[in-house]
Amino acid sequence: MSVSSRLRSTLLASTLLCAAAHGQTTPAPPVTESTRTPLIDLNESVAFEVCPHTGMMGSSGTFGLKLLMTYSSFSLELAGEQVIGRTANLYPVSVNAVLNLSTHGRLIPYGAVGAGLWLTVPVNALGAETVSTLGMNFGGGARFFITRTFGIRLEAKQYFTSISDSRGLKNDLLFFQEVSVGATFLFH
Amino acid sequence: MTTTSFSSRIALIAALAVTLAGSARAQAHFEQSLTLSGGLYAASGFGTNFYSSGRYDYFIPGTRYFVEASLGVGSLSSKVISTVTKARIFTSDNLVTYEFAGAFDYAPGGAMPYFLFGVGGVREGQETHFAGVLGIGKRIALPGFLGSNALGFRYDIRDQIFSQVINNSDPFIVHNITATVGLQIYF
Repeated sequence: MSVSSRLRSTLLASTLLCAAAHGQTTPAPPVTESTRTPLIDLNESVAFEVCPHTGMMGSSGTFGLKLLMTYSSFSLELAGEQVIGRTANLYPVSVNAVLNLSTHGRLIPYGAVGAGLWLTVPVNALGAETVSTLGMNFGGGARFFITRTFGIRLEAKQYFTSISDSRGLKNDLLFFQEVSVGATFLFH
Repeated sequence: MTTTSFSSRIALIAALAVTLAGSARAQAHFEQSLTLSGGLYAASGFGTNFYSSGRYDYFIPGTRYFVEASLGVGSLSSKVISTVTKARIFTSDNLVTYEFAGAFDYAPGGAMPYFLFGVGGVREGQETHFAGVLGIGKRIALPGFLGSNALGFRYDIRDQIFSQVINNSDPFIVHNITATVGLQIYF
């Protein structure tokens, strides 16, 4: 046996020994509770969320705030927002039922349906009064949590309401689409 | 002599960097802050008035980003307009602004400012405008100030950009500039 082949054998043996020793002294880390726990678990307790958001309804900008109370797949949501128009501002206030399509992990898609009051407040129009109508909405979106308490939220919704003229002779059904993006803060 | 001067400059810069980094680390464990600010609001075409605001910030852990919601109040009163023309453009001189923004702070303890982008509402009298917001600012930690590590100083310069119509004019773009300084409380 040549010197080089002996050296090669020695190196191989020492490498194998090192690998075996490494395997003996550093066992695989046990699966701890923290590694099994998902970032967000909506089943663990009642959770509350505060969601400031902005977006567009038609060609008008919107700002709003949503408050959610969540347990597992179901959330009850109170939403209020301002839709900024040229001649009037619209303030939809609604109560919504939200069905969370996932209760674990970072990404929580959901669908929502709700109803509420729409207040149309004219801007700089003398004699014009605030008009209130009943409206409904449905839509969906997703919340993506970056940390256990903070995430971003995307949503698309269809709003519709019926308005009548001052004599009540004619009803018009109006449809509006809204796309919004916002932040969500989760509290347990 | 030149070598000594160069060395002392390097030492000074290193000392400053260590100090600023240390002060930034002192507040690194805080996730939120509230700020009370005061300064000036330059409303395009109306002049400059005092402006005050309150800001809430959430610092996203492990990143250089934070999000902010703010509410500000000011005035649109203009001595020139009221004296020369006696005209009343808005139903009142009250100014209320609110903003939602995200910001990138590359070096919280360094010399670089943070950059902020967002949207806002600018309420002039009864008229509200949807505005884009651009800004820069700086947070300066004040470790040990008043016996607390949770206080800081900050300054902000913002540009609120929106489309305005006055007296049935064609829409035009205005840039309203705010410059504020404030005391920031971390928690």
